[in-house]
Amino acid sequence: MPRPSTLSPRLLLLLPSTTYRATAFVEAARRLDIALSVASERSSTFEQAQPAGLLTLDFTAPADAAARAAAFAREHPLAGVLGVDDNTAVVAAAIAERLTLRGNPVAAALAARDKHRQRELLGRTAGSVAVPRFALYPADADAAALGRLVEYPCVLKPLQLSASRGVIRADSPAEFVAAFRRVAAILAEPEVAACGESARSVLVEQFVPGPEFALEGLLVGGRLAVLALFDKPDPLNGPFFEETIYVTPSRLALAAQCELAATTQAAATAMGLVEGPIHAELRYNERGPWLIELAARPIGGRCSAALRFGTGDEGTEKGWVSLEELIIRHALAMELPTLERERQAAGVMMIPVPGAGELRELRGVEAARAVPLVEDVAITAHRGQRLVPLPEGARYPGFIFARGPGPAEVEAALRDAHRRLEFVLG
Amino acid sequence: MSTADVRITAEPIDNDRCKFIVGQPVHVGGVRRFASPEDAKGSPLAEALFAIPGITEVVVSGHLVTAVKRGPTPWAALGPAVGAAIRAALAARAPAVAPRQAPPGTPADDDELYERVSRLFETQVNPMVARHGGVVELIDVQDHVVMLRMGGGCQGCGMADVTLRQGIEAMLHQHVPGVKGIVDITDHSAGSNPYFAAAKK
Repeated sequence: MPRPSTLSPRLLLLLPSTTYRATAFVEAARRLDIALSVASERSSTFEQAQPAGLLTLDFTAPADAAARAAAFAREHPLAGVLGVDDNTAVVAAAIAERLTLRGNPVAAALAARDKHRQRELLGRTAGSVAVPRFALYPADADAAALGRLVEYPCVLKPLQLSASRGVIRADSPAEFVAAFRRVAAILAEPEVAACGESARSVLVEQFVPGPEFALEGLLVGGRLAVLALFDKPDPLNGPFFEETIYVTPSRLALAAQCELAATTQAAATAMGLVEGPIHAELRYNERGPWLIELAARPIGGRCSAALRFGTGDEGTEKGWVSLEELIIRHALAMELPTLERERQAAGVMMIPVPGAGELRELRGVEAARAVPLVEDVAITAHRGQRLVPLPEGARYPGFIFARGPGPAEVEAALRDAHRRLEFVLG
Repeated sequence: MSTADVRITAEPIDNDRCKFIVGQPVHVGGVRRFASPEDAKGSPLAEALFAIPGITEVVVSGHLVTAVKRGPTPWAALGPAVGAAIRAALAARAPAVAPRQAPPGTPADDDELYERVSRLFETQVNPMVARHGGVVELIDVQDHVVMLRMGGGCQGCGMADVTLRQGIEAMLHQHVPGVKGIVDITDHSAGSNPYFAAAKK
């Protein structure tokens, strides 16, 4: 069985136990023939038997994790470190600083994780990065009193939760009070409250109208390489902000696309991000681009499967370079073979949660897979799983992937496939 | 107890493979794989199974008989014939399966690898994954590639691939050097109780 030689560079990959991304990163590491050590916050049952390949780190304590990683690296020298989500990006930064590996400064990674800190930094860019007006309030504040102060429409957000969890629009004082109490209740949930100080505040910001876009990029020495710009064709006007379809290439005018890229570059620079993957959420309206969020991590869920780079064989993985391969290569300072996305349009639908309840049955998966241009329907929810819609929910039931000649065809295929799915909830 | 009373449970692995769990040992001398009717000569059970139209491969080990078929006939239709062949072989005086005869010094073949992998799974891999409610089942070894299936807490687990590559594959690499690869045939979407469930972002 081929295994990386002892001379292969070793990557420390930080994988939270609840990640969707384990397979994509582990398989990318295999294709690159590198030595891989996987660290998680929960121990693997193989850790004692495979001490070079598996490690447990406390992702809530980046400095402690860095010390532990440094001790690990004395036995198993590391050539790179990589986080895959907002929290592990901070831990990766701490480890990179400690071991002088390629990475972001810890302060920059922290700012990318904390929506309020990010707003503060970007608010000092003298207008080069437009961000919504914002204010931070304690989660136990008098919601009725605040509701008389804020301007409408506004959006309430937790500081650290992702994928629109806990994000609610309010158009009136009455809606504000209801939304504020709902966000506070989410912040009080044990697994959220464990995040510490960030779970005790609510960010309230101006609602920015206009279509939304997602920019996937790679920072190399502080310079942004745009890997893909996704349209989000479903309007995101609230009251909740469920992400559904991402399609690339964008149908936005080229000049506007350049503005989005320039804004993202300016935001990364202002925040001090210099190396590795970034994922930006932006809106565009008559006043130009607005930065809604910039994260120091790649696109979430299983969405990265929609992206492939270079040229390869249609219908197979042969020849293509995955997003994870690019990210790993960059972390290890290996040559980047290409940063050019394939010529075909591609898209992914994060299947919306159909309602609250226990998943009893899912019908129509094969029919959805049979839709022309649809490449895969990946169901990640399991039978018996409790599905929770936004704003409280934290899991998608699955993902639909499509590829085709143009973004309109891809979007239509995703919608057609989705219509064929039938969730039976109990 | 007559062999007619021997309990046989059929457990389809996929369209092509079905595992038959027999209530008494069928072959205690390790694993025997029969890839053709010629291989089966001298082993009454394997000869009988190859006489069933569509059967293309047979693997026998302990209480397990794994049959591989080609063609559209479902296991529900083939299963009774396989069960009858197993019962008939157990009722005969001759051993159901002849011992494997490999010249000493020959490189490890799939049967030998199967035995070694099976032992590793039993003694090390499964006790480890059991701590998270998981189980790993050896389905087959073909051309030195191990085919396995995960169950329990491993099936659908967000970290299943880490377990597979960083745990199981690394263990195989250390303990069974002849293994060339590993294929996971688990239907992870059917897992109903994964140890780690993925969440947004």
